[in-house]
Amino acid sequence: MNFKFDIAIIGGGIMGCETALRLTEGGMRVVVLEQGDIGQGASGVNAGTLSMQIKRVKLMPYAIKGHAIWEKLGEIIGFHKTGGYTLAFNDREAELLKERMMLKKEAGANISFVSLNQLKEKEPNLANKVVAASYCPDDGYANSSLTGYYYRTRMENAGINYVEKFKVTNIRQTSDGYEVSSGENLIIAKRVLLACGGWMKDVAAMIGEELPIRARINTVSVTERAPKLMSTVIGHATGLLTMKQKPNGTVLIGGGWQGKGTPEEGRGTVATDSLIPNLQLAKYAVPKLSNVRIVRSWTGFEANVPDFYPLAGALPNKENLYVLGCVRGGYTIGPYISRLMGDFILGEEPEMPLFDPSRSFESA
Amino acid sequence: MSKEPAPPIVRTEIVEFSFDGRKFSGHQGETVAVALLRQGIIQLRDAPNTPAARGMFCVMGICQECVIEINGKRKEACRVPISSGLIIDKVKY
Amino acid sequence: MYDATIIGSGPAGANAALEAHDLGLKVLIVDEQRDAGGQIWRVKSKSILSAPSTEASIKGDALRERLKQSSIEVKFETRVWHIDKNEEKNWIINLVSKDGSHSVLSKALIIATGAQERVIPVQGWTLPGVVGLAGATALFKEHMMVPGKSTVVAGSGPLVFFVASEVIRLGGSVAAVVSINGFSDWIKALPAMVLNPKLLWQGIKWIGDLYLKRVPLYWRHGIRSFEGLGHVVGVNVRKANKKWYLRHDPNIFIAADSVCYGHGLMPSIEASRLAGAVHTYEPALGGWVPFTDENGRTTVPYLYVCGDNAGILGAQAAPHRGRLAAYAMVEDLNETLPEDLLAKRKAEKKLLKWASIFGKAATGLSILQPGAGGLISKQTEVCRCEGINRLEIEKEVKTGALSPNAVKSGTRCGMGPCGGRFCSESMALITEQATGKTRAEIGLPTARPPLRPVAMDEIAKDLNYDDLPIPGVSPL
Ligand SMILES: Cc1cc2nc3c(=O)[nH]c(=O)nc-3n(C[C@H](O)[C@@H](O)[C@H](O)COP(=O)(O)OP(=O)(O)OC[C@H]3O[C@@H](n4cnc5c(N)ncnc54)[C@H](O)[C@@H]3O)c2cc1C
Ligand SMILES: Cc1cc2nc3c(=O)[nH]c(=O)nc-3n(C[C@H](O)[C@H](O)[C@H](O)COP(=O)(O)OP(=O)(O)OC[C@H]3O[C@@H](n4cnc5c(N)ncnc54)[C@H](O)[C@@H]3O)c2cc1C
Ligand code: FES
Repeated sequence: MNFKFDIAIIGGGIMGCETALRLTEGGMRVVVLEQGDIGQGASGVNAGTLSMQIKRVKLMPYAIKGHAIWEKLGEIIGFHKTGGYTLAFNDREAELLKERMMLKKEAGANISFVSLNQLKEKEPNLANKVVAASYCPDDGYANSSLTGYYYRTRMENAGINYVEKFKVTNIRQTSDGYEVSSGENLIIAKRVLLACGGWMKDVAAMIGEELPIRARINTVSVTERAPKLMSTVIGHATGLLTMKQKPNGTVLIGGGWQGKGTPEEGRGTVATDSLIPNLQLAKYAVPKLSNVRIVRSWTGFEANVPDFYPLAGALPNKENLYVLGCVRGGYTIGPYISRLMGDFILGEEPEMPLFDPSRSFESA
Repeated sequence: MSKEPAPPIVRTEIVEFSFDGRKFSGHQGETVAVALLRQGIIQLRDAPNTPAARGMFCVMGICQECVIEINGKRKEACRVPISSGLIIDKVKY
Repeated sequence: MYDATIIGSGPAGANAALEAHDLGLKVLIVDEQRDAGGQIWRVKSKSILSAPSTEASIKGDALRERLKQSSIEVKFETRVWHIDKNEEKNWIINLVSKDGSHSVLSKALIIATGAQERVIPVQGWTLPGVVGLAGATALFKEHMMVPGKSTVVAGSGPLVFFVASEVIRLGGSVAAVVSINGFSDWIKALPAMVLNPKLLWQGIKWIGDLYLKRVPLYWRHGIRSFEGLGHVVGVNVRKANKKWYLRHDPNIFIAADSVCYGHGLMPSIEASRLAGAVHTYEPALGGWVPFTDENGRTTVPYLYVCGDNAGILGAQAAPHRGRLAAYAMVEDLNETLPEDLLAKRKAEKKLLKWASIFGKAATGLSILQPGAGGLISKQTEVCRCEGINRLEIEKEVKTGALSPNAVKSGTRCGMGPCGGRFCSESMALITEQATGKTRAEIGLPTARPPLRPVAMDEIAKDLNYDDLPIPGVSPL
């Protein structure tokens, strides 16, 4: 059969779009199918932190590469390399911090421990309660709101077909390819890549793949413009706080506190009992935040498998069926791992290994 | 500045407060925006991205155009009452 | 735990509360104003010790008195900032007052948050001295103040004439009235208005008064731009046609130090959206409204809406809608409605029907006509909070941003402190013009808390660090 598309990519987030760009470079005819708008899933609502200190040890090399891709893009996606501190507020956390940051350093991140005096000098508004802190000069952030704009423009320029408001409801394997449909509308392609973020489990199930995926729903909040309160990315030893002040003065507060709802039900809602401790922790770290008003809190979905490593590779039971998702820190790592994924689908050897989705998922 | 109809509108006593370092007066309990309006002050702040002046707009606590600062906290001038000695600052950022 | 919490104590919410209370429910009513009355019967400022009464103040005082006499629990000067549900499916209503934030639990929730005004941006509308048309009524009712020495009153619907007459009553001077509606629009609305002779007579009196006082009255004219540097000094007016397109005539300049400007009301739907209700686009009801049955039941169990936030039908309709919502709630909570209430319900529905005909006719005068979007010039700041103009929005739409969320992400339009309450309407109008999509297709940006900006220390009380519910450390 003559296919109009070499591959249908389900999901127009970073993973889907960046892979689409790579595959197009490699000569494939690609269609990206997105249920909503391009870059309005996790990729467009995440906290935008590009921090090495919160990346998992094994993913560090990927994070470093991903970070470099965003850095090169610079202003287009609102990239800022500010450096970042991770804080410990008691001895137990200090211990945790030391242990974890040593391992991350060994994995290639440029992390050091700083004295409290150094810290105070650089971030005078931090609470006195800090007992230990680590620093990474590469940490920073980008503006995830611009993800949609950025990928739309790039895909337009590359002549990639993308269809918005196309919610895939069925995937069927044919003798030599796939039929992907949304209600009455049908798209036929030789290959399929599942890149549907938090929605992955259900979409995979459409083609009979049972993956042990759980969706998480993270909360992020933003304040109105405030006087200068911090100049770097502030994190917490447990990972439960990420915070930065944008050039316009607004402060973005995240940390993976869980909202409510499931990907199937809509966009999810902010849970009062996790929003409040999230903000309390932020205020504990920077007491001057007290006076600042929150103007919006929101949620976004991401997916995890039990070992918290990515799914990136070919699904074992069917030919030409691929998956890319469940990438922790996926905003940072996304552009790089997607390129690897593209290479893999093109039949080239990726520069770094992918994460076989048919592995056994022991908890990490 | 704006004309008041002749009594019988009876208002509370006049108190003094300051806005942006200048002294003003108004009736105890009326909102900051109204007390300032009475004295011809309608520029409450600058727009966030430009030096253009902004003032009270929705008069119901929604638009946030009238925000001022009291003790470092942003408040809606169209809702916050004045009291004697209240120090009100212009939003600076 | 309350049986019912009611957000908003205007004529709709207050009557819902009174009825639910009479029927034996444990009721809480919350309002950000300092007493009940809502927009129409807004309570006077504490700074006014005595003043001549008006119809609105008399009705408002009566309502406030009834609430006081009842044992309904009230929380005034208290804002709802978030609506959430617990595991038992009870409503968690997050409030913020002078004492900071706290939450209450409730089995059922009635949202009666009323309306918000619609203002179509034109060049210069951000100048100090330009206030909302409906907003101006708050100045009159709460403060008995006029917005300046010489005021232009402009926009659509009956409020234009009410505001002009109030300015005069309170000792101000009206430089001109500029109505985008023509006299013939009013004639068309007349048959419906006749149903409420009292209000109709009031309207005729307002207009007649303006003629008597020789106030220049520009029928079917629109504001092209506001002039001034630092504050408004006047408006440029042009003749319009029926569809609200302005003619390419030379501007007519009218000097003024204040302008009241607005284009009717829109339902305040942020709370019902946050609570998860489905909404539909109904221009005849003022825009987006929660989808309900005729009793105000939404698509979410134990969530009801009444009053202008359920569709702009005006103050006359509000009490009936409030009581109907209360009956529906009682029916759902008790799983039955006694015979006598069924009869009462029937009577309320009949009264509502009459009131609605009048309300719809008034709302009809502000239904956006095709020329509405064209009033917004390229350089006009659409998003006041973030300073985003029409051109920037159009550019973003051209790159393929076709939904409000996408435009918002790309431009920051709607990301400021007002939460998009004033710009998302204009953003949709511009998108509509640029893409040919309908307003229903364009949709709304996702609803998110807080409903009003809340200071960190109001939401987040000081932390005893060891109490922080740390759910576990992220994987290494
Ligand atoms: C500014 C304005 C002025 C108006 N002036 C007139 C007029 O002069 N004449 C006329 O006929 N109609 C007027 N209207 C129309 C008005 O909507 C009436 O039709 C009538 O007040 C509707 O009654 P309601 O009970 O539905 O809502 P409202 O009377 O508006 O009552 C809603 C109440 O909810 C409260 N509220 C809203 N959100 C929250 C929250 N998050 N937390 C706590 N409380 C909240 C508000 O403070 C308000 O008291 C005006 C509307 C507006 C917006
Ligand atoms: C709130 C939050 C904060 C975060 N903060 C950070 C951070 O600070 N730093 C960091 O590095 N990472 C962060 N992450 C993680 C990062 O955002 C994600 O890992 C990354 O964006 C995932 O990209 P994706 O393309 O896989 O998923 P998404 O961007 O979610 O894209 C998946 C797309 O698939 C579409 N889709 C789903 N089902 C269907 C269907 N049936 N048919 C068609 N389309 C479908 C969805 O609509 C969606 O657009 C955060 C995540 C969240 C949720
Ligand atoms: S004037 Fe709109 S919030 Fe005060």
